[in-house]
Order: sequence, then C-alpha cells, then structure tokens
Amino acid sequence: SSALMVSPAIALAFIPLLLTIIIRCRYYFVLFYRAVLVRIWKDCVTGLSREERAYQYVLTHATPGDPDSILDAFDVWCSKVEFISNIGPKKGKILDRLLMEQSPLTVLELGAHCGYSTVRIARSLPLGARLYSLEMDARNAAIAEKIIRLAGFDDDTVELIVNPSDEVIPLLRSDYGLERLDFVFMDHWKKCYLPDLQMLEGSGLLRKGSMIVADNVLFPGAPKFLRYIRKSGLYEWKVHRATLEYSKGIRDGMAELVYQGIK
Amino acid sequence: MKKGRRDPEAKGGEREEEEEQPEMKRCKTAKRRKNIKNENARKMEEEEEEAEVRNAKRKKKHAKREKGEREEREEDGGKRRVKEKAREGRRRTHTRVETSSEPETSEEDELEEESEESEVRPESLSPEELEMLKEAVYERKKLVQGLRGKPWPMKEKLVTLRESQEFVEKYEGALGKGKGRKIYAYKVMMSKKWMKFQRDFENFKTACIPWEMKIKEIESHFGSSVASYFIFLRWMYGINMILFCLTFGLVMVPEALMGRPYGTIPRKTVPRAEAASAMDFAVLWDFGGYAQYSVLFYGYYNNQRAIGWLKFRMPLSYFLVGVGTVAYSYMVVIRTMARNANESGVGDDNSFNFSWKMFTSWDYLIGNPETADNKFASITTSFKEAILEEQESCKDDNIHLTRFLRVLANFLVLCCLAGSGYLIYFVVRRSQKFALEGLETHTWWERNEVNMVMSLLGMFCPMLFDVISALENYHPRVALQWQLGRIFALFLGNLYTFIIALMDEINLKREEEKIIKFNITMWEASLYNATGSENSTALPVTFHPADVPRGPCWETMVGQEFVRLIISDTMTTYITLLIGDFLRAVLVRFLNYCWCWDLEAGFPSYSEFDVSGNVLGLIFNQGMIWMGAFYAPCLPALNVLRLHVSMYLQCWAVMCCNVPQERVFKASGSNNFYMAMLLVILFLSTLPAIYTIVTIPPSFDCGPFSGKKRMFDVIQETLESDFPAWFSKVFSYASNPGLVLPFILLMVLAIYYLQSTSKSYKEANVDLKKKLQTQNEENKRKNKLAALKAQTDLEEARAATQTAEQKNNNASLQHQHAEEEEDLGSSQRKNGRPPPSVRHQDGRPPATRAPAPRTLHPDTHRSLGYLPGGGFPQQREPRMHRVPSLQRH
Repeated sequence: SSALMVSPAIALAFIPLLLTIIIRCRYYFVLFYRAVLVRIWKDCVTGLSREERAYQYVLTHATPGDPDSILDAFDVWCSKVEFISNIGPKKGKILDRLLMEQSPLTVLELGAHCGYSTVRIARSLPLGARLYSLEMDARNAAIAEKIIRLAGFDDDTVELIVNPSDEVIPLLRSDYGLERLDFVFMDHWKKCYLPDLQMLEGSGLLRKGSMIVADNVLFPGAPKFLRYIRKSGLYEWKVHRATLEYSKGIRDGMAELVYQGIK
Repeated sequence: MKKGRRDPEAKGGEREEEEEQPEMKRCKTAKRRKNIKNENARKMEEEEEEAEVRNAKRKKKHAKREKGEREEREEDGGKRRVKEKAREGRRRTHTRVETSSEPETSEEDELEEESEESEVRPESLSPEELEMLKEAVYERKKLVQGLRGKPWPMKEKLVTLRESQEFVEKYEGALGKGKGRKIYAYKVMMSKKWMKFQRDFENFKTACIPWEMKIKEIESHFGSSVASYFIFLRWMYGINMILFCLTFGLVMVPEALMGRPYGTIPRKTVPRAEAASAMDFAVLWDFGGYAQYSVLFYGYYNNQRAIGWLKFRMPLSYFLVGVGTVAYSYMVVIRTMARNANESGVGDDNSFNFSWKMFTSWDYLIGNPETADNKFASITTSFKEAILEEQESCKDDNIHLTRFLRVLANFLVLCCLAGSGYLIYFVVRRSQKFALEGLETHTWWERNEVNMVMSLLGMFCPMLFDVISALENYHPRVALQWQLGRIFALFLGNLYTFIIALMDEINLKREEEKIIKFNITMWEASLYNATGSENSTALPVTFHPADVPRGPCWETMVGQEFVRLIISDTMTTYITLLIGDFLRAVLVRFLNYCWCWDLEAGFPSYSEFDVSGNVLGLIFNQGMIWMGAFYAPCLPALNVLRLHVSMYLQCWAVMCCNVPQERVFKASGSNNFYMAMLLVILFLSTLPAIYTIVTIPPSFDCGPFSGKKRMFDVIQETLESDFPAWFSKVFSYASNPGLVLPFILLMVLAIYYLQSTSKSYKEANVDLKKKLQTQNEENKRKNKLAALKAQTDLEEARAATQTAEQKNNNASLQHQHAEEEEDLGSSQRKNGRPPPSVRHQDGRPPATRAPAPRTLHPDTHRSLGYLPGGGFPQQREPRMHRVPSLQRH
C-alpha cells in the first residue's frame, strides 16, 4: 500500500497549480455560485421561480411605463441579487446602436425569457415598427408579457408568441403575414442558433441587408453556428467582443450578421 | 547598313516621342498590359515540373521570334526607303522597336517567324550609332539599378524593369565586334550559368540546414516568436553536438577501446553486493548497476597516465575536454551575442513610437490567415495601448493603487519563491535522511522525491506567476520580462538549492570515504599479515575485483544526480506536452460536440505555445549539462538525444495542438535577451563545477585523477613528464603572479578603452541621427515654402486661363471621357501630354492644371494616375482648401 502512497512533499508541489486554477477560474466559480447555488437556495426558500422573483423586484422598484427604469431595475437585480442571463447593459448598448443604425420595421426576437431584451429592443424601434417575440416556456412568457405591458408597449408594437422557435419560423410567412425580416435577435437555446438560422434562410424572409444579431456566441457559445456563418458566405459578419452580462472576467461575444443573399 | 540603323535612332528619340504621341503610347500600353498577362502566364508555367525543358523551348521560340521581328524591322526600313515619309516611318519603327523590346509579343509576330533572315550585324553599324546604342544600353542599366528608389507604382516598375532587362540583354551582345562579340556572348552565358548555379547552391544550402523547412512552416503559422524558440533549439542542438563530439571522441571512445576492459580493476567492476540486481531495469533506469560502472560516469576511468598503443593521455584528455567544453560554450555564446548586438544596434524604439508601430509592426513571415488575424488584432491593441500610455503619461490618477498592487504582486511572488525553495530544501534533507537509512527501504516516490518536486515546482510556479502578474497591469513586453525574471529566479533558486544539497552530500561521502580508506588500509594490512603468517614466500592472495572494498566515489554520485535530474526533467517536459497540450486538444476538440458551452473559443480552449517558459527550460537544461558534464561524460550525448526528440515532438505538438498566440510579438529583439540569460546561466553553472574541481580532492580509488591531491595537478604532471624542461620553466615563469597580474591589468585597461570608444561612437551616432532629423525638418520647411510659392503662381495661372478654358470646354470634355477608359499603366506615362483641363460633371468650378506644380512635383500625377479617372477631383481638392490658407499667410 505504501508503494502507491505519494509523499506529502510531492502533494505540496501541486499547491501552485491549485492556486493558479482557482485564480484563473474565479469568475466561473462566482458565476456558478450566483447562477446555480443561489438560485436553488432561493427556489427552496421562497417557492417562487427565479423569473417571478425578478418580476416582483421590478414591480416594486421601477416606474411603470418607463422602459429605462424597468431595464435599470433588472440590471440592479441581476448584478446585485441574483443572476439571470439577460443581454445586460454593455452588450445592450451595442444592440441599441445597431438598432438605431438599422431602424428596422419588422423585428423577430427568438427567446424573450423575462422580457428584458424585448423591452430593450422595443424602446429603440422607429415608429410603426413591429416586434415579434418568441418564448417557448409559458411561465416565462407570462412574466415577459407583464413586463412588456408594464413598460407601456401595446400589442401593435410587440407581439409575444408562446411557441418553440422551430415551430413558429416556418409559419411566420403564412400565419403572421410577414414579407421580410429586417432584424433578428437570437438569445434562446444556443444549440438552436444554427437550425433556426438555416430555417430563416429557407423561409425566404431574409433579404439583402437584413441583420441578425446573436448573443452569447462565445460563452456559453455556439461553435457550430459560428462555423457555419464562417463557411456559408451568405453573410457579412463580425463578432463584437465583450464580457458576459453582469460579470467582469468571462469573455463573451455578440455576432452581428448582415445577410447578403445569394449572389 | 540601313537595316540596323533604326534601333539606336529609335532609342535615342524615345524621349521626344513620349512627349509627342499620346495616342500611340496608349496603344502601346495596351500591348504592355497584355504582355504583363503573358508574363504572368509564363510564370505559372515556370513553376511546373518540367521547367527546364520548357525553358529550352521558350529560348528557341524567343530566338525565332527575334529573327521575325528583325525581318519586320527591315521591311519597315524598306518601306521608309520607298516612301520617304520620315515621320510616318519613324512612328512605325518606334512601335516595332517598343514591342520587340518586350518580353513576349502578340501572336501576329509569332506567325511570321519562319524566315531565315540573319540577325543584326553590329559590324554594319557606324561608330556613332554604336556609341548611341552603347549609351542607350548604359542608360537602361542605370535605370535598372536605380529603379528601386523611384517613386513609381510597383506595376510600372516591374514593366520598366522587364523592358530594360530585355533591351540590355538583346543589344549588349551587339556591342562587341567579331571575335570579341563571341567571347562576350560566352561570358554573358557563363555569368548567367554561374548565377543559376549560385542560386541552386543557395537552395541546396538551405535544404541542408536541418529542420529549416519545419521551422519555416511553424513560422508561417505562429509568427517569428515561436519560430525563434525553435531556431534557438536548433542552435543549442548544434552546440551540444560539438560538446558531444568532444566528450565522445576524446574521452568515452578512447577509454572504451584502449583502456582496461570491464572487470579488470575494482573501479571497473560492479561490487559483489550489487551484482545480483545490477542488470535490473529499475536499477539501470536510476543509472546504477552496470550503467554506473561504465564509461558513462567519472568513476569508471582509470588513473593510468597513458593508455593503449597510442599512448593516449587519458587523465589529461579528460581534464582538458572538461575545460574545453566550457571554454567553447563561453566563446560561442559571447560570439553570438556580439553578432546579434551588431545586427540590432541601430534601433531605438523610444523616439518615434508611433511611426515604428505603423511601419514596422507587421510580421512578414506569417502565412496563415488565423495568425494574420491575430497579428492584426494585436497591432490594433498595441496602438490602443500606446495611445492609452501616452494619455496616461499625461495624467497619473491612480498611481498609488497601481504601486500597491505591484508591491503586493512582488510580495506574493517572493512568498511563492521562498515556499518553493523551502520545499526543495526540505525534500533534499529528507532524501539525505533516506540515503543514510538506505534507499532500499523506501518507495520509488520517496527516492525520486527531489527530482519530482523540482520538476513540478518548475512547471506550476510559472503559471502562478503569470496569474499574479495580471495584478500589476504592466505593458505586455514589460510583463514578459518580469515573468522571465521571476521564472529565472525560481529555476536558479531551485538549482542552487539542489547544488547546496549536493555539496552537503559530497561532504557526507567524503567523511564516509575517510572511514573506508582507513578500513581498507586495515584490511590490507590484515591481509598482508595473514598471508605473511601463512606462507611468506607465496604471492599475496588475489581477490576478485568485485570483492575489493571501495570508497563511495562522490564524483560518480554527482554525475548520477545530474543525469537523473535531466531524465526526470525531460520526462516532465514530455508528459506535460502530452497531457497539457495533446490531451487537452483532443478533449477540447471532441468534447465540444457534446458540451454545454463552446470549449474551443471559450474557457479551456487550445493551449498557446509558451515561448518564455520553453526557452527558460532549455536554458536551464543546458546549465545542468554544463554543470554535470565533468562528472558524467554521457550528459552531452543524453542532451543531444533529448534535443533531437524535443525538436520533432515539439514541432509536431505545436502544429497539431497549439493555437497562435493572441499577442503575436516579434522576437528579433528578444534574441539577445535569451543569449544573455544563457550566458548568466553558463557562468552560474560553471561556478559550482569549478569550485568542486578546485577545492575538493578527488576520490582515492575512482576516476582519472585518483591518487592526486587536486584534479588540476594533471597539468603539472604532464608539464613535468611530457614536455622538455625548459618549457615547464617557461610555464612556471609565465604563471608567476608578477607576470599574470600586469597581464590582467593590461586586459582590464584594454576593455576599458574599447568600452569608452564604443560609447563615444554611440554618442556620435545619436548626434548624427539628430542632425539628420533637423535636416529633414529643414527640408520639409523649404518644400513647404516652395509649394506655397507654386500655389501663388498657380492661382495667377488659373485666373489667366479661366477665360480661355471656357471656350474649348466641349472638346476637352470629350477628351476626358476617352481618357477615363484608360488603365493604370497608360496614365502613368502621360507626363508630357498637355494636361486635361476641365471637368464639369461634378459641378466644380473649372480649374486648370498649370505647368508650375508639375515641374515641382513630377510624381504627383504619376501616383494619382493610379486611380483610374478619380485622380483629378482628388488632386483638386487640396488646392481648393489651400487657397484660404495661402491668403492668410
């Protein structure tokens, strides 16, 4: 048995490695703590879901009818209290800028979650524009609906569709009467980025100049999606490098694609 | 007579023609463009395999074509004779000559190439024509030489170069006469062959450089910093090869061939107690058993003064090789450093920071798009950082925090260093305890604890330093230097702790040796007594050498320790490579298909090649070789093997599992830094070796110096017995302190003198640089004044011509349109043409191009002509803006 026993000095020599790993991955540990451990704990204690807790906070801390104050309340809650992977204020600024430049009339949002990004997009839309927001989960969609109405956007501006994206996208043309999409924002399941993009291409809703923005392409990351857009040649694309929302050290990126069409 | 006449005349009149005939020029350029295409096609052809055959064919073709052209020219001449229309004829001739002087002509020429007409006969030229031809050839040659400095676009340069070369090639041969011409042609041919041979030889030489292609490939993928590591590795391999040759050829092989064979004397025999396990793999792996009692280690060598029929002086050779390897290493390192210093002596990075960044930051050896992207990004960030630095140098708001963090980081690093030092010390003490108790009772882990701990600390501590250095917020280059310094300190601390522990062990062994020596004399005496009492006339009982008691032989112990250290270090390096790089790459690659985040772009990612760590590892490895080579002659051989394997393994690993660095930096500047570190390590590693050689007496019963008081006594011995008496006398005089001290003094003075001269040269350099700069500024100012003057002239001219211009507006408009169709090449050549005047399409006020600015800046038009059709508005723009500033002045 003693033949297998490593001497304590050799074990001590591994301390620097351990320290290095701890320091290197500290942001991931913090993220794990905030996004998983705290969430489980609060779920058990309050009996509410995370989104409902966020909604309660927003309801008590934000001014109804003021999108900015709602977004601020969300940001405070997500950075101070718990963690929800919204787009966040920093990447949100990039999104705002892109929307300002593009001023799209028809916008599709995949993955509304609890409505943060929907409000964010809706407030920078031009007059007469319409935002279709998809959410798969019914409970989240209910909260998103409340948040959107709280921010003062009516049914004409924002239409919330409670269905998985792969079911809705083929129906967009027929059921929702869409001719083209000027702007698509993807923030749902990272694995669905690529199939949904291909479905959008197939549906013929993308025209030359249509912009597609995909969040979290580096962390958690959508490698197949990136590989596809790199190869396909249908897009002019770049990745805006930033950090993960409400976290300083984890690198993340937001992909901006401009559809060029088949030449 | 009249046949050859056209050519010189044509060349002579070329310049005036340029001014006269824009239309003709245009068609010429069209042809030229075609030729460029042809040229490209030809190049592609050339790259194919059967290049030589094709070459031969082409030559034939070319020759034929030339003949055809000449015939044509003759025709022209004939026409001219008949028609006597001078101008017309001349024009045609010009076109002909122009086309013929180009590399490939259009198909029509090819069709006419059947004729059997002879070539231009230079004898038929009159002397003045010959002169003119000579002059033209000379002009062309001059043009070719000065082409590089001409401010023309690259395309035009290429075209001109090709034209001129063809022309020179063709007409140079015509200059000689008769026999001389043949000799000349022969000479030209030979010189061409010679050049080709030289080029081939160069290629051959590059092919002979080991691993050159591999390194080039890596360089193209990872930039020059990674390649610099491999070049360094190769250089190290070369040095080790020479060290290996020295020790192998002058020490190991003679001893193995001519020395006493194994088993004849005790030091060459495995002791009886160890004999049973001497061939076990575990023992051999620890370099005990048969490995210990072989030429690989110091203890095996006999102190016999001369061995074999060659009377080879083994101890002397051993000593001299030991000294020679170190001396050679010093020489090579210092020579390389000096050469590097010469190469990089002129650069000063401080004065024109942004210009340097702008014009010199690209790494032209990159051939991989991903690396190029990285390099691009790194240049961008370096610009950003430089701008930020400039801003920060103006305002320093949070200096206290930064300072505090830096101090903290250094404190942490020091703690880490102290901890690792203590750990090694602790381990070494423990191993001594184990050694006293007997190694057999302990496990493998415990026996190899020292090496393991040293390797592990050497591997992990740099990572921790890297993490800590993030606190300091230094510029990457500075951070790299700090990192290198810290790793250096760590390795050095570890190495010296190890050496100190070894010294302790040496002392222990020497104590043991004293006891054993005493015991042996007792044993011998008792043996003698025993034999004497039994039978005084009989020979003393001969023992088998394995049974003879012997001393511990500390030298072999030291050698063994170093060999074990090298082996464990090598193993650690390779295992790290396989686990840290290869396994990681495999996991990242294949787990990525089923993982919840992007492993490739996100967290673990692929590893980068750690240049600094690898270089330091290499340097310290070399240091250990230098330290241990005296006691273990096998070390250079082992190192050569290690480096050889490293080269292949790391080349493979870097290409298959690493990604290009995010911060690709150029390595040219850091080469000497590595060399300086190598020098320091060389010094620090020879120090203990020399200390042991000089101060500790060699073991009494092993090694080539046994029986002597000190190891270097071998020199004394040789001087006394192998050289004539006068020589040793001279030597003893020469080694007299009275002579040595003045000599050292002289050397110091010489060094001081040389240093001060180099300093003054440096100052002179700086002064000259300043002068250049001021002169430059002066020139700029002058140019500015001249330009302003030209502006005033231009304004006047414009005012004057404005009215005239409006009249022939329509005509010039058409002219303009025609011109816009033209391509680059043509517009560059139109210097002499009357300037196109007006452009009303863009709604600007009409303006003329007065001759004044063109004479001042003949190149503006040239460069602007690069943009087809777009040149004029651009050119007009600054003028429009400059007008008010002119009025202000």
